[in-house]
Order: sequence, then structure tokens, then C-alpha cells
Amino acid sequence: MATVAHVEEHGHGPPPAHQSSRVDARLLGIYFFIGSEIMLFGSFFTAYFFARVVIAPHAYGGHWPPEPFKLPVYVALLNTIILLTSSFTMHWALQSIKRNNRSGLIAGLALTFLLGLTFLLIQAREYTRIGFSPHDLAFGSTFFGLTGLHGLHVFLGLNLLAYALVRSIRGHYGPNAHDHLGVEIPGIYWHFVDVMWIVVYTTVYVI
Amino acid sequence: MMAIEAYEHHGAGAAGHHAPPRRPTGLRRFTAAGWLRVAWVTPLSFGLATAIVEGARAGLGTPTSWHNQNTFQTLLVAWYVMVPLGFLIALGAFDYWFYWISGRPTRPEDHSSHGARSWKDYFRVNTDHKVIGIQYVCTTFFFAMISGLLALFMRAELARPGMQFVDNNQFNGFFSVHASVMIFLFIVPVFAGLGNFVIPLMIGAPDMAFPRLNALSFWLLPIGGLIMLSSYLIPGGAFSAGWTNYVPLAVVQPDGNLAFQMGVQWAGASSIVTALNFLVTIITMRAPGMTFWRMPLLVWANFATSTLVVLATPFIAGSQFFIMFDRVLHTNFFNPGNGGYAIGYQHIFWFYSHPAVYIMILPGFGIISEVIAVHARKPIFGYRLMALSLMGILILGFSVWAHHMFVSGMQPWLRIPMMATTLLIAVPTGIKVFSWLATLWEGRIHFRTPMLWAVGFISMFVLGGLSGIYLGSVPIDQHASDTYYIVAHIHYVLFGGSVFTIFAGIYHWFPKMTGRMYNERLGKLHFWTTLIAFNVTFFPMHWLGLQGMPRRVSDYAPRFADWNMVISIASFALGASTLIFLYNMIVSWRSGEPAPSNPWRALTIEWLVSSPPPVFNFDEIPQVVGSPYEYGVKGARHAVMGGERADVQEPHKVGSH
Amino acid sequence: MLVIGVLAGLATAAVAYFIPWLPDQGAKEAVQIDNVYWVATIICIVIFGIVAGVTIYSVFKFRARPDDEEDGAPIHGHTGLEIFWTAVPTALVTAISVYSGVVLVGNEKVQKNHGVVEVTAQQFAWSFTYPDEGITTGELVVPIGRQVELKMTSKDVIHSFWVPEWRLKQDVVPGVTTRLLVTPNKLGTYDVICTELCGLGHAAMRARARVVEPAEYAKWVQDVKAARAQGGTAQGKELFTSAGCGGCHTLADAGTSGQVGPSLDQALKGKDAAFVRQSIVDPNAVIAQGYQPNVMPQDFGSTLSKAQIDGLVEYLLKATGGGG
Ligand code: HEA
Ligand code: HEA
Ligand code: CUA
Ligand SMILES: [Cu+2]
Repeated sequence: MATVAHVEEHGHGPPPAHQSSRVDARLLGIYFFIGSEIMLFGSFFTAYFFARVVIAPHAYGGHWPPEPFKLPVYVALLNTIILLTSSFTMHWALQSIKRNNRSGLIAGLALTFLLGLTFLLIQAREYTRIGFSPHDLAFGSTFFGLTGLHGLHVFLGLNLLAYALVRSIRGHYGPNAHDHLGVEIPGIYWHFVDVMWIVVYTTVYVI
Repeated sequence: MMAIEAYEHHGAGAAGHHAPPRRPTGLRRFTAAGWLRVAWVTPLSFGLATAIVEGARAGLGTPTSWHNQNTFQTLLVAWYVMVPLGFLIALGAFDYWFYWISGRPTRPEDHSSHGARSWKDYFRVNTDHKVIGIQYVCTTFFFAMISGLLALFMRAELARPGMQFVDNNQFNGFFSVHASVMIFLFIVPVFAGLGNFVIPLMIGAPDMAFPRLNALSFWLLPIGGLIMLSSYLIPGGAFSAGWTNYVPLAVVQPDGNLAFQMGVQWAGASSIVTALNFLVTIITMRAPGMTFWRMPLLVWANFATSTLVVLATPFIAGSQFFIMFDRVLHTNFFNPGNGGYAIGYQHIFWFYSHPAVYIMILPGFGIISEVIAVHARKPIFGYRLMALSLMGILILGFSVWAHHMFVSGMQPWLRIPMMATTLLIAVPTGIKVFSWLATLWEGRIHFRTPMLWAVGFISMFVLGGLSGIYLGSVPIDQHASDTYYIVAHIHYVLFGGSVFTIFAGIYHWFPKMTGRMYNERLGKLHFWTTLIAFNVTFFPMHWLGLQGMPRRVSDYAPRFADWNMVISIASFALGASTLIFLYNMIVSWRSGEPAPSNPWRALTIEWLVSSPPPVFNFDEIPQVVGSPYEYGVKGARHAVMGGERADVQEPHKVGSH
Repeated sequence: MLVIGVLAGLATAAVAYFIPWLPDQGAKEAVQIDNVYWVATIICIVIFGIVAGVTIYSVFKFRARPDDEEDGAPIHGHTGLEIFWTAVPTALVTAISVYSGVVLVGNEKVQKNHGVVEVTAQQFAWSFTYPDEGITTGELVVPIGRQVELKMTSKDVIHSFWVPEWRLKQDVVPGVTTRLLVTPNKLGTYDVICTELCGLGHAAMRARARVVEPAEYAKWVQDVKAARAQGGTAQGKELFTSAGCGGCHTLADAGTSGQVGPSLDQALKGKDAAFVRQSIVDPNAVIAQGYQPNVMPQDFGSTLSKAQIDGLVEYLLKATGGGG
């Protein structure tokens, strides 16, 4: 490795890149990342599909959930409402900073964070008293797989929200589109987590 | 995610001053990012992982015993997650983001982690896409050699029927590790490496869109590889259920199998992150004037490949998570006794792994298009259809996965539709092959080493593709599936296909990457020895398979002895030919002739800058004024550099049809 | 150009024709499958001939001297040609698809009075149950000319059933019953090969398939039943092959040469009945030097009856000269 890219000694930074798309790179990045996440959920849904549609009709006398298990539909409904609300508070936070309303931003983020945390705590409680475990047939495995994967995403989302909250308390962000990407991006991710929950809820609990 | 500082688009350039990196002193050296910090943080995270698992065990009242398989598996998982994380943190992959998260005032970019001033800069978190490209290529070749060596061990055992040197467990480990490392640590990432170096230059960008993420994605890679190789240290031996790791076998294997699952997660994360970066870079950072229809085909190919990676890779992540859960937590995702569906695993696995074979060939197609146009001195024939056929393969590629499962016992009605889509892939692929041939036609072909590989590639890949057509036909596959015919197919498409394109690409861009010329005579010698040894090694496998030799066996019927001996001898010649390549690369890099900026008289942008390119690629972003392949068109140019921009006009538009 | 193309095509065709690529045809289905194979081969030879022909011609014809600074002709494309080489391969692969589909459907048509054999695979042995006859054996015996349906399932991991001469292969999956329909039309003894990686003994997981005249088949059924009825060592010997022991263990008396497990001629020499019995029902209790636990099935204690185990033990003692 004798040759090494030569360094311009008089030293200057890179030239500004040409922006060939109207969408900001970071926004585009998060959209592709969410695409990848959707496929990850897709693989879990596929496993669920095999357990429920391909195997169960011939294995548990057609019962889903298999006897004697029951799904806590109403607790999950409560959780759905909580998470849906948190999407609105998130939206409010973003709208606030767009209007340069800093306290609205902080309040919105904090509320969203708390709602998300409540969701997780309720889910954890539900897990402990649900009456079956991941060992109980492919039914239990796929149930905990899907809801657990989603819970993990709520956890990740909470992290992002926490960073945004810390930064907003420390006075970052502003009304310009370029200056509140750090709120917008966790927001997009949070909405994704929310929508994903509705899909999970509908498939696992409702249908 | 938002913590990722994207490449600054607006005028950061003037402000950033290129100060030499601050060198910490004294005890600070142990807390600053780097190998000294790695030296204590990595063992620490090992201890932490152990403590957490053992603590949890003690707390939950489960007896702790290292001989208890379940405890040991849990420990392995904890190690494979936390030790690499500790390593990355210590090396400094996350320093900037930690700082950002803490919400302190934004630090101005000083570019201190950018570019390579000495060889040491290749061993740290570096944000320069050119450095990362070289890091990638060297790392992947290191793993390729190890994996090739394992293949040679396998051939030594297979030279004669009966058992010679190893037992069944070791043999099964050889082909499993061989294939996993070749695929996940060589072919997939080496293209990411070449792309990293070339793509930003080609589209006239100063770097990738997310340089820090780019650095991270490189460092995830060796972690994946070392985890896979570490399975040799685990009691019970290396993972040995094949690279496909079918359940239920994977669940009942010794603990080493975990190394495959965890290794794949790290390597997979690495490819997803790189692919995201490519997509965003290609969409948002093209030079002015570079419309989609003026992108070089390598850029198109990388675009298609990255889309595949982003969408398909989560499926293999999922499939390996499920196996891990089934093993460590005793869940029943695929446990046939408890409502699981063993074949379901195969669907999920192949939904990634079939697109993965296109992940492993599309960038190669891109490389071949560049090499052939440049060295045949002709525009690519049917440029638009070439780009569209890449997208066609991308879309069709998602609809054929079950052709690996024709005899798996899946729903029988799935077979005929999957056969139809599988065979249809021959059409876009054929378009590419015929267009390359038409590009050669009436060209002025210079048979330098990259061109030899490119032309050799066409015939070898077509042989591999055609054997794929046989396999795509269900009745033939019923006979040929899981035999050496498959092994022949694999190596014709992956070695005769992907590896040939990799060699073409390495020789083609070697002058650009290192600033020196490789040795042309050694290059040609490398090509011819490989071409011959390769065919002698892998062609007879077609016959062996059809005659009745199954794959993944350490022992075989005596009537196959002669050909296996021939194959084994040829495979050692193949290994030796690789040594010529290594020698050529190392010696030329150190003391080859200095390379001019454009030794091949090529038109694309990477050849308009010096060899090797300056740290920030360009003083000013070039202006793209035409198609990348206007060879033979008088006065045509693809791009002009900063200063000369004003007085160049778009050349007379040449209709493409 | 044409000449080179034709030569390349001819060379490939010669390779295809003069080398015996495919093993003997041992079943009706094999004939059909080979026809698909040859149709695909003809198409592929033409394609490869064209590709190799154009390549070789170009290599010689359009080669430039190193100092040649000229460029090639600026041809950007040709719509007609591009349509042509999109349409023709489409037609060709569709033809292969349709023909393959027709053959597949034809091969899988269930004949009226077909026979049924239940196939069970486990690490690393095959066993075949004949529901009509009420017997289970370690080799597959079928009468010639009659379609048999193999109903297959596995006790542990995935295996795959393949008889090269029949050209048919089907995975054997735990929890699922897979089917394979075959009409053997040639007398002989063939290898049943496990082609799906199933663990340490995968390479050795073989069985025999015998295609016999119907009369011989009937006689064979009678013989097996007689041995069963007789009990003792006769039954033991029969079981030794039918339970799949011989797939892994060498035993001179039974003519088996498996190498996955220890050779019984050596391992059981001088051992007593208690040891032999324990080795069958609880194989992990004593592991012979150089072998690994958990390879041998551990459920023989429940899958074989007491009388059967007695017979096996008696037979093994006799065959290895052990004391009792
Ligand atoms: C780079 C990797 C790569 C590529 C590009 C391909 C390309 C193709 N593969 Fe291959 N394949 C593998 C890597 C690859 N494969 C691997 C690794 C396995 C084994 C996995 C394992 O089990 O371990 C495998 C296994 C595999 C199977 C499963 C076999 C089995 O296990 O039973 C099948 C079955 O359909 C198949 C088919 C095809 C087809 C139809 C193509 C097509 O894309 C090929 C298209 C190309 C051409 C046809 C040639 C050019 C075209 C023309 C010149 C036009 C004219 C042609 C005609 C009219 C026919 N492949
Ligand atoms: C990119 C992919 C790739 C590449 C390049 C290769 C390269 C080779 N492969 Fe492999 N192979 C696969 C992908 C690949 N393979 C896959 C996917 C499988 C299926 C596995 C499965 O069933 O799960 C497979 C399976 C496979 C088998 C079948 C195993 C079985 O089913 O039982 C065999 C058998 O001969 C084989 C042989 C070889 C040989 C001889 C090479 C040769 O090309 C190797 C040449 C040697 C070198 C390139 C190394 C040279 C190095 C030195 C001489 C020493 C220097 C060393 C150091 C500096 C450390 N491979
Ligand atoms: Cu059973 Cu391989
Ligand atoms: Cu495939």
C-alpha cells in the first residue's frame, strides 16, 4: 500500500455536491429504510401465514387461536387507541416547530414519548398474563414474534423521540425545512410504527 | 436515523478547513477512538455479556453450567451481539452520533476522518468512499482466499472415494462455510466495494450521501465474516447444514450453527446500509446534466442491485432470527411437531436468496458493460433496453424463488407458474448478452486483461445460465436437483459469471484505484490459466450430477472416482492461478508503473480526474453533456470539468435507433 | 462467422451426443423427462453456438492493434434486432415451459389400480411399508409395469428420495406427506439415494430399489411374512435390513457395509445380550471410540416390539459370535 490518495496541502473541503433530486437525502434515506423494515415485518407475517393458514386448519381442528388460548383483544384495542393518539401528538410537535412554537414542540414530543412508553408498558403487562408463551405451538411463537418485533420498533422509535426531545430542550431546531429534519424524521418513523401496529393488530387480533 | 449527517449540499466546502487530525496524548489515547480503545473495550463487552447472561441465569434460578447446551447458546448470542458492538463503539464508528444525540452544539466538519494519508488510515473509521472501497475489496479478497482454501480441502477429500482426511462433520462444515463466506463475505460485498470506489466518481459526486454510515457499513462486514469463521472454535465444530441452513436440521445442529445465523445478520446489515446509501447517492447527488438516461450502466446496475438488497435482505434476516429463536428460546416457528411448517423456512429463505443471486450478478453486468464499451471502442448497443432489462430482471427476480423448491414438497400448483417466470428471466438476460455481442461487432477491440475477462465472462455465464434453464424446467429439475449438476450451475454462474466480472472490474479500475498499472503479461497469464482450470474443474460436474452423484457428500460411488480426481487436480491449478493474481496485485500496487489519469481513453467521469483521484474527487462538480458511451462519435463528450464548462456545447444529438 | 457458429454448435452437439449424459431409463416417466431434456439441449446448443460463434469471430475479426487509436463504428442500436432477440427467446422459453408443463401433468396422472408404498425416512435410514401386504422392509420392492404411489414422510429432518434411473426425486419432510408417482418399466436393482443434506450420515443414506416380475413380487411378500412368523434370528436378520441398521453399520453376516456407525463385527464381538440390547434402545449409553452421540435414532425401544428386539439381539449375538 505504498500509494495513497494525495492530499491537497493547501487544504480545502469538498466542493458542494449537486442536488439532483428535490427530496432531501435524509428523507429519502428514511423512506428506503422503512421500505426495508416493511419487508422485515413481511418475513414475520409470512411465518405467521404459514402457521395459521397452511398448518393450523389441519392441525388444531381449525381453531385459531388454538384451544384453550385466548387473545386479549380489548387490551390491544386500548393500546391501538393510545398509539393512534401518539401519532397526532407527533404531528402537533412538528407543526409547532414549523410555526416556531418551541414549547409546542417540546410538549408534543414529550407527550408522544409518554404515550409510546405507556403502550410498551401495557404490552409488557399483557405478555405476563396472557396465558401462553412463545413455546406454545407455532401460534405462540408467531404471536410473540410479530408483536415482539413491533414492540422492538416502538422501543427504537422511543429512542429517536428521546434524542429529538433532548435536542429540542437544548434549543436546536427551527422553522426552516432544513432545520427541523431532526424532528421530521423521527416523526416519519413514528407514523410508520403506528401504521404497522394497525396492520399487526388487524391481522393478529381482529381477523 | 436523523442523527446521520447527510453529505452537506450547500456550501460547506468553503468553510471546512483541512486541519491535520488532532493526535491525543497520554491516557487520552485510551479513551479516544481507535485500536487502543478497542483493546480494552472489546474484552470489557465480552465480560459484560457474560455477566448479564450468567446474572440473569442466577437471578432466575436456573443452574449455570457451560456444558448445558442452552446456557452456552445464550452466551454465544450475547457475545455475538455485544462484542461486535463494543468493538464498533471503541473504534469510533458511533462517536459522532453519540455527540449529536447528547444535543451539544453542532460541531463543524473538519474532514479529519476523510482520506488516507498513510496505510494506517485504512484501519480506522474512514469516511472517504475511495478508502472504504479499497477496504472493502481487500477484506473481501481476504475472505475469498480463506473460503477458496476450504474448497481445496474439500477437493482433497473428494479426490478419491471413501474417507481420507476428514470426518463427515468436518466435510459438511467445509462446504457450508465455503459457500457462506464466498456469498456473504466475497461476492455480495466486493461489488459494494467496487461500487463504493467508482459510483460517486462516475456520477460526479464528491462522496456518498452518508459518509459516516458508509464507514459503519464497512466495519460491520469483517465482523460478520469473523463470526462465521469463529464457528470453528465452538465445540461441535463449524456450522454444517449448508449455506441454505434448512430446518429442522439447523435446529438440531451443534452450537456452531449459531455462528451462521449471527454472521449473516451482521453481513446483511452491512449490505442493507450500503445499498441505502447507494440509492440515495444515485438519486440525489448526480452531477448537473446527468439524467437517468445518461447514467453509465454500472450506475444503473448498482441502482437495481441496491433496490434488491434493501427489499430482499430482511427476509434472510427474518429466516435466521426464526432459527435462532427455535434453537435458543425453543420456540416453534418451524417445528413440525408443534404447528410449525418446515417448508415455510425455505420460502422465506429463498425469497431472499433467489434475488440474492441477482444481487451477485447485476453489478457484474454493469462492470461488463463498462469494460466492453471502453475496450471495444464502441457505444453500448441498445443502451435503453440494457437499462430496462436490468429493471426487468429486478422485478422478475422476486417472482421465481420457489424454483429452488420444485422437489421440496411445497404446494404442487406453485410449480408451473414459478417455472414460467423462471424461464422468462432468460429474456432480459438474453437481451444483455446479445447486446454485448452486438457491441463487440465492428468494434476495435483491445484485448487487454479486463477485456479478456469480459469476453470470457460472456461464454462462461451463458453456459451457467443455460444450465439454469434446464433446472428451471420442473421435470428436468426433478432429476437434477441436489446433484452435482447444481454444483456445476452454481460455479458457472458465480465463478464464470460473478468472479470473472470482479476480475474484469479490478483490472479495469486498478490504475484508478492505486495510481499504478498492473502487469499486463501476468494478467493475461492469470486469465488463461483460470479459464482452463475453471472449465476442467467444473464442467465434468454436469455429467457427475446427471449420472447420479448427489451434492454435499464426502463419499461417492467408485465409478465416479476418475472424474473426481481430474476435478480435484484442476481445482488446485485453479487455486494456483489465483496466486498469480495476488502476486500481480501486490507487486504492481507497490511498484507498478505510474498510471496516467485515463489509460483506456474512456469517457466516463472517473477517468477525468487524476489516478488516484484527489481526496475530495473534484475541485468543482463536472457538468454532464452527453451519453457516457459516445465512442466513435466525433467530438462527443460525456462530461466536462469545471473550468472548461462554458465553451462546450451539447454535441449533435445522435439518435439511438 | 456462420462457419464458426456452426462449428461451435457442432462441437457442443458432439459433446452432447457422444457422451452418455443420462443414466439408463428405468421408468415410464424417465422417457418423458428425457424428451424434455433433449428438447432443452437442442435449444441450448443453438443459443450457445450463436454466442460462441459471434464471440470467436469478433475476437479474430475486430481485434485492434495496440497502437490503433481509431474508434469502432458509432452504432447505437437497431430496433429491429432488439425486438428480434427479445421475441425469439421469449418464444423458445415459452415452448420449454409449455412442454415441461405437459410432461409434468402427464407424469403425475394417477392410474386406476396403482400400488401404494409408505416411505419413512429418518437419520439415516429408509423404511418402506406395504399397506396392502402389511409388511415393512428396508428395501423397496415393486412389480414391473405397475404405477406405484410413494407416500413419504420423515421422522426427523428433511431427506430426499431419488432413484437416478427413474429421474424422479422428492423431498421427504417431517410433518408433511409428500407423494411421488412412478411406473418402473425395467427389471433391476437400483440405488435409492438421499439427496437432501440430513446430517452426518447423509452421504451413506442409501437403500435398494428392486423392480421385479409380479410373480416374484408375490413370492417375496410371502418370504418376508414367513421370516416374521418364524421369529428369532430369521426375523432378526430381516429386521436388521428393514429397520435400516445396515445403512449405518457394517455387518458381514447381513452383507451390509455402512460406515456411519461402528462396525458391528468389531463393536459387538464378545459382548453379552444386555449390552447389545442397551445399544439398541439407548444408543447414547456407550459411544464407541471415535463416534459421536445422537447420530443413531434413539426411539427403537418404542418403535420396535419386544419380540422384534429380542429377535434382533439374538441374531446379532449369533452373527458376531458373541456369548450369551
Ligand atoms: C450469480 C448467481 C446465479 C445466477 C445469475 C443464476 C441464474 C439462474 N438460475 Fe441459478 N442458482 C444459483 C446461482 C445463480 N443462478 C445458485 C447459487 C444456486 C444453488 C443454490 C443452492 O441450492 O445452494 C442456483 C440454483 C438454481 C436452481 C435450483 C436448482 C435446484 O436446487 O433444484 C434453478 C432452478 O430453476 C436455477 C435456475 C436459474 C435460472 C433459470 C437462471 C437465469 O437467470 C439464467 C438466465 C441466463 C441465460 C439463460 C443465459 C443467457 C441468455 C440467452 C443467451 C438468451 C437465450 C436463452 C434461451 C432462449 C434459453 N438456479
Ligand atoms: C462465489 C462463489 C463460489 C466460488 C468462487 C467457489 C469456488 C470454488 N468452489 Fe464452491 N460453492 C459455492 C460457491 C462458490 N465456490 C456454493 C454457493 C456452494 C454450495 C454449498 C452448499 O452446498 O451449501 C459451493 C459448493 C462447492 C462444492 C460442492 C460441495 C458439495 O456439495 O459437497 C465444491 C466441490 O468441489 C466446490 C468447489 C469449489 C472450488 C474448487 C472452488 C475454486 O474456485 C476455489 C479456488 C481456490 C481459491 C480461489 C483459493 C486459492 C488460495 C490459495 C491457493 C491459498 C492462499 C490462501 C491464503 C492467502 C489464506 N464448491
Ligand atoms: Cu437423508 Cu440425506
Ligand atoms: Cu434461484
